[in-house]
Order: sequence, then structure tokens, then C-alpha cells
Amino acid sequence: MPTSMPLQAYLVLAAVLFAIGLFGVVTRRNTIGILLGIELMLNSVNINLVAFARFAGDTAGLVFTVFTISITVAEVALGLALVILIFRVRRTVVADHLDLLQG
Amino acid sequence: MSLEPIAFGVLSVVLVASALAVVLTKNLFHSVLWLALALTGTAGIFLTLDAEFLAAVQLLLYAGGVVTIAVFAIVVTERLVGDRITQTSRQLTNGFVIAAAVLVGVLSFVLRAPQSGPRPPIAEDLTRAIGESVLTRYVLPFELLALLFLAALLGAIYFARPDD
Amino acid sequence: MTVDPGTLAAIALLLPAASFLLLAVAYPLRRSGRVAGLVSILGAAGALAAALGAWARQTPEGMTRIAYEWIPQEAGSLATVGVLADADSTIMLVLVALVSLLVQVYSLGYLDAEPRPALGRYYTYQSLFAFSMMGVVLAPGFLQLFVFWELVGLCSYLLIGYWYERPEAARAAVKAFWITKAGDMGLLIGIVLLWYRAGTFDYLEIYDLVRAGQLSVAGLGLVTFCLYLGAMGKSAQFPLHVWLPDAMEGPTPVSALIHAATMVTAGVYLLRRTIWLFALTPDVLHLIGWIGAFTALLAAVLACVQSDIKRVLAYSTVSQLGYMMSAMGAGFAAAGFLHLLTHGVFKALLFLGAGAAIHATGTNDIYRMGGLRRALPQTHIVFVVGTLSLAGIPLFGGFYSKEEILGAVWSGRLVWPFWMLVVAAFLTAFYMFRVVFIAFWGERRADSHGGPHGHGGGHLHDAPAVMSVPLWILAVLSVGIGIYFVRHHGEPEFTAPGWLTPLAVGVAVGGIVLAWLTYQARVVSADDLARAFAPIRRAAQARFWLDDLFEGLYRGALLGLSRLVGWVDRYIVDGLVNMFSAWTLMWGDRLRRIQSGLPQDYVYGLAVGLLLLLIWVQWPR
Repeated sequence: MPTSMPLQAYLVLAAVLFAIGLFGVVTRRNTIGILLGIELMLNSVNINLVAFARFAGDTAGLVFTVFTISITVAEVALGLALVILIFRVRRTVVADHLDLLQG
Repeated sequence: MSLEPIAFGVLSVVLVASALAVVLTKNLFHSVLWLALALTGTAGIFLTLDAEFLAAVQLLLYAGGVVTIAVFAIVVTERLVGDRITQTSRQLTNGFVIAAAVLVGVLSFVLRAPQSGPRPPIAEDLTRAIGESVLTRYVLPFELLALLFLAALLGAIYFARPDD
Repeated sequence: MTVDPGTLAAIALLLPAASFLLLAVAYPLRRSGRVAGLVSILGAAGALAAALGAWARQTPEGMTRIAYEWIPQEAGSLATVGVLADADSTIMLVLVALVSLLVQVYSLGYLDAEPRPALGRYYTYQSLFAFSMMGVVLAPGFLQLFVFWELVGLCSYLLIGYWYERPEAARAAVKAFWITKAGDMGLLIGIVLLWYRAGTFDYLEIYDLVRAGQLSVAGLGLVTFCLYLGAMGKSAQFPLHVWLPDAMEGPTPVSALIHAATMVTAGVYLLRRTIWLFALTPDVLHLIGWIGAFTALLAAVLACVQSDIKRVLAYSTVSQLGYMMSAMGAGFAAAGFLHLLTHGVFKALLFLGAGAAIHATGTNDIYRMGGLRRALPQTHIVFVVGTLSLAGIPLFGGFYSKEEILGAVWSGRLVWPFWMLVVAAFLTAFYMFRVVFIAFWGERRADSHGGPHGHGGGHLHDAPAVMSVPLWILAVLSVGIGIYFVRHHGEPEFTAPGWLTPLAVGVAVGGIVLAWLTYQARVVSADDLARAFAPIRRAAQARFWLDDLFEGLYRGALLGLSRLVGWVDRYIVDGLVNMFSAWTLMWGDRLRRIQSGLPQDYVYGLAVGLLLLLIWVQWPR
């Protein structure tokens, strides 16, 4: 057992979380479910940022993590508001039905 | 010897498991709860990286804010539908293949990189350093962030307004 | 202070150009009709004065050349523009200016019923034509000649199609343009070939080369033949003569000026200018002589069966051009040129006289005229003068020059062409007096008065002064020329046999007598005559099927080519374009399906992009 985990351990963990989030984004039918997947992916990015900042001894990464978290929260708020709006207009939250942009 | 590797191992297991639960569970509401667990686990990971302030922010904003909003959204849409939303998945195989491929791509990249050095000692209080950075060097992005929040607030209200 | 002939000739050239530009640019002036006519007439009168001055100052051997650089090249200039005044060009200039002026004055009376804008347009064309024709006459080199050559062709087209609302006129204009263009292509090729050999377009420089024997004779026949093709088209030689009779759809003064006196003689004039070049290729000269004589005979036969007075004159013009050409072909250019000048005078007279008759009766048909001798005494006199000139009766304009041609052809040892010309001379006298006896003598037809010119009411009268004065001037000139040549025999380039004069006069008188017996005394039945020559008559009435031949060629070759080009355009050019547009549409349609509109499909796209990036970054190198 090492005395402390190397950077790669954190990056691998983040990669796994990212892949799981991606899986969720592409497989969920419900738009809220898709948003939850996006949250997971962003979360893994945050882990990366913090880990790099810690191992590089630079606080900039930490500051950016603060920013990303904040922006994510704003995005989620807007995204869910959009979901509600779409539901009111189209009576559905199923992403497959939202194909107005079809070519 | 420290507890850090042990904590990391436990947290990793919890994180991966809860993340899988988020994307696989049928009940949307349960999904959100699992997400809350995953976000909390992430806060724990931040703690192992000596970022106590970020862990707090993570808990407050993410686990608190995001989960609350998501629950609200679910409740509101369910009330509009008048029925419980069950959520199903599509194209599971495709999703698995693409996610696994990305995972392999990233992992091979990460694992082939040279081993990083040990983490440097912490010179000062990280929370204090973040606070000083935000109010000095990153003050402009910080203010812009405030503006963004305002815009998001207005936008959310506008979207969610009752029908005229 | 003496002004040299070259400057005067240049002034004569530029005056009609000025009046043309004025009429073309000043819109209200052009629309004003008769005022525009006066502007044009003033230009022509000034040109005539300048031309006469140039001619009077011109010595037989003198030569004035004014040249400006036109197309520069590294050493010297590729082409010059200017005037070349010598004995031939100044006398020709006088003829062009004189006939132009008389015709323009005459047109004031002949076209008095035209609306004003149309009349202004007519005089604009007339000025342009006078300028262009003088440019042809004065051109010092082939390139400038070609430019003016095409310009006169354009004027001819415009004036034949003057009554462009009439389908026949429009068709005739296009036909004239097409057929002369066919010849002009030959001329252009010939000019370029000659330039390739001689390195210059200038007559004098080429002449010096020929004199010095530096122009290689081998293969020169092709060059001169190509040049002759241009002359053939313009001067209506067989088989390119078919446009000239149709050109009679234009106003009669136009026919007098362009299609009798001046433009059609441009081909003869070109040969006169460059006879030293053609002399190097005797084979081509022989061909010219034969074709000329054949044209003269063919056209004379055709003229015998026409009932349209203008068409008779048109075929007669073709026939006389054949005379001139055969003199050229015999190598005696001066004889042909002399006939060009006299013919210009009396043929203009004949056309204008015919125009006066047409103007009075409103018809072109000689069988519907009849008895005009009493109704139009002046017209009758001048027309008979012209006819006698054309027939070649002594004391009249055409006698001496026609005899010169016969003598030249005989001396040139063109025996068969000579006899063809003699027969043509007989026919000439016959068909011209046929017109005189039927239209002017004979009985007056009941329906021969009144017409589109508004002279109805049963009373025919002579033309007004603006028309009759030019007629009298030309008539006096015709007689004057005839008497002049009786008194002054020039120095001929050859010695004609002594029996030539009696023969020439004999056949002319014979033709007149036959016409008198047939159409006036009616001793010989016209029907019997027609029966005797039935096959020729039928062929002549069908114009020897030449028009049909050309039409067939046009249909077969040109339309065939057009169809081929159309096919290429439709299926290959358009096909390529359509193929590309179809491919674009097809691929657009296929690529369209990528845009499913489903958000998660776009996430797939992002993920695949990310994968590609990862693979690219990690690709073993």
C-alpha cells in the first residue's frame, strides 16, 4: 500500500466516471436523466482539475473548479427550466420526441 | 503511513457504484438520490486532495443545489403529467460500446503518460489562497460569474413563467 | 496654296463619317427625318467637292499616301491606317461620292411617304455607307480594307432590311449578309495568309516585294484564290450571286447605290488594286475569267425571264459584274475598271429611272406598268438612255468600256469566255429592251396606276424635281462619257481585232431588234420563243435551282452542325452541369439523414470525434 495515491489514480477514477456519465447521456430517454449524466461527466472533470492543481502545487486549478461548479449549477438550473418549458409545450420529456431539428 | 490510500479506495468504490446506479436505475427519483451520493463521494475525493473548501462548495452547491433543483423538476413534471415518470434506456449496446471506447482511449493516454512526482507540500492554507486569487487575479472572471448567475436566474424565471 | 490629293481624299472620307456620327448621336436630329436627310446630303456634297478636287489634282502617275500607326509592334508598326490616293482611287472616289449624293437627293422624293424617324435612320445608314465605301476605296492596306469591307456589308444588310417589318426584306437582308460573309471568310483567310508570307498588310510594301521578286510564288495561288472569294461574295459572282436579286427588297435608291453602282463593285475594285498580285498566279486569273464570263451569261439568261423590273436590273448588274471580272481574269484590269466606272453611272441611272416608274405606278411588275412613255416622258427618256448605254450602243456610256472588255478577253486568249460574253451582250440588249417595250411602250394597263405611294386617281405623272434632276444628271453623264470616248480613245493595253466593234454593235442591235419584234411589233410570238427555249426558261425561272441548292446546303450542313452543337451543349455541357448538381442533391439528401435532430445522436458524434482525437494523438509514430 503506497503512502499516497499518485496522480494517475485520480485520473483513472475521473475517466471511469466520465465514461459512465457518457453512457448515461447517450442511453437515457428522459431529458432529466440526460442532465444527470452530464452532471456526472462534469463532476469527473472537476476531480481532474483538483487533482492536477494539487499535484502541480498551483491554486489556479482550484479557483477554476470553483468556477466550473458555479457555472454547472447555473447550467443545471437553466437546463431543468428548459425541460419544464419543453414539457409544457410538447407534453413530453422524452428526448427521442424532440427532433424538430431533423434534416 | 496515512489513511489516504484507504480513503481513496473506499471512495472510489462508492463513487463508481453510485455513478453506475445513476445511469442504470429505472426510477428517476432514485437516480437523483444516487447522484447526490456520487457528488458527496466526490467531495470526499476533494478532501483527500487537501481541498477542504472545494469539498464544502461541492456539498453545498452540487449535492445541495443541483439535487434540489432536479428533484423539483421531477416533481413539477410528474405533477403536470399526473403520473409517475418511469425512465427507460435506449441503445444500451451502442452506449456501452462508445463509452467503453472513450474510456479505453483516455485510460491508455493516462497510463502511458510518465509517472508523476509526489505531491508537493502545502505551503499555506489553500482556502485562503483561493480566496485571495478570486479577489485579485481572477476578480474579473469572478464578477462575470456573478453576471452569469443573474442571467441564469432571469432566464430560469422567464422559462418557468406561467402561461399567459 | 495647293492641297495635295491625299488630304482632299481624307476630307472626302471624313465628311460622311462626321454626318453619320452627328446623326447617330444627335437623337432629335435623326428623328427629324428630312432635316437629317439634309445633313447627310451636305456631307455627301462636301465629299463630292473634295473628291472632285482630289481627282483634278491627281496626275496619272502620282500617288499620295497618308498613314498613321494603328497597331504598334516592336519594330515599326503592324498595321497603319490612312488613305492612299492615286489615279484609280480618286476617280472611284468621285463615282462613289457622286452616286451617293444623287441617290441621297433622289431619296428625298422617293421616300417622301416614310415616317420621319425611319427616314432619319435611312440617312444615318446612307452616311455610314458613304464613309465605309470611301474607306474601301482609299484603304492603303488589306487590313483597313477588310474593316471597311465589313462595314459596307453591314450597311448593305441594314439598308436591304430597311423595311424590316416585311418578312421578305428581313430574309433578304440576312441572306445577303450570310452569303457575303461566306466570301468574306475567304478574304480574311487570304489576308492573313498574305500577311504571313509578306509580313505586311500594306499594298505598296507588298507591291515592292512583288516587284523585287521577293514574294515566293509557290502556294500563292491559295492566297489569291482566298482573296478572290471575298471579291466573289461582294461582287456577286457565280455561285455566290444569289443574294443580289433578293437584295432588291431594299428601297430602290439603295439598290441603285449599293447593289449596282458602288458596293458590289468593291470586289472588282479589290482586284484592280491588287492585279499585280493576281498576275503572279495565272491559274487563278483564268478561273476568274471563266467564272466571270459564266456569271455574265447565266445572269443574262436569268434576267430574260424576270417580270420584276428591279430583278431584271439586279441580274443585269450580276451580268455586268461578270464582264468586269472576266476582263480582270484576262489580265487587263484597266478595261474592267473602266467598265466599273461607266456601269456605275448608267446602272444607277437605270435603277433610279426604274424607281421613278415604281414610285409612280406602285408596282414592280413590268406587265402591270405598260405605256409609261406617254405618262412619264422624262423617266422614259432617261431610262432609254440608260438602256442604250447598258446595251453598248455607240455614243452611249457602256459602249466603249464593254468593247474594251470584249477585246481584253479576246486578247487574253479566253476564247470560250469571249463567246459567252458575246451571247450575254446579245441577251443584255434583248432583256433590257424587253423591259422598255413592255413597261414604257406597249399599251397602258387599266390597273397600272395608283399604289402605295399615294398617287392614285388615275393620273400618272413624272417624278418631282428632287428625283428627276439626279436622273437627268446621270443621263447627261452617260451620254457625255459615251461621246468623250468616241473622241478620246485611250491607249489600250492590247490591240483588239478589227471585227470586234462591228460584232459588238451587231449583237447589241440584234438583241434590240429581237426584242422589238417580239414585244412591240409582235411578229415573233413571245410564247413561241418561250417554247423554243422551254428547258432553259424553266431552269431560269427556278433560278437554276441554285437557291434551292444553297438552301439545301444550309439545311443540311449548317442545321446539321447546329444540331450537333446543340446536342453537345444539351447532353455534354449541360449534362456535366446537371450531373454535378444531381450529385450535390444526392449527397445532400444522403448527408441530410445524419441530422436526425435527436440530441443524443449528436453526443455520439462528439464522442466519436473525441475518440478520433485520442487515436490521432496516440498514433504510433
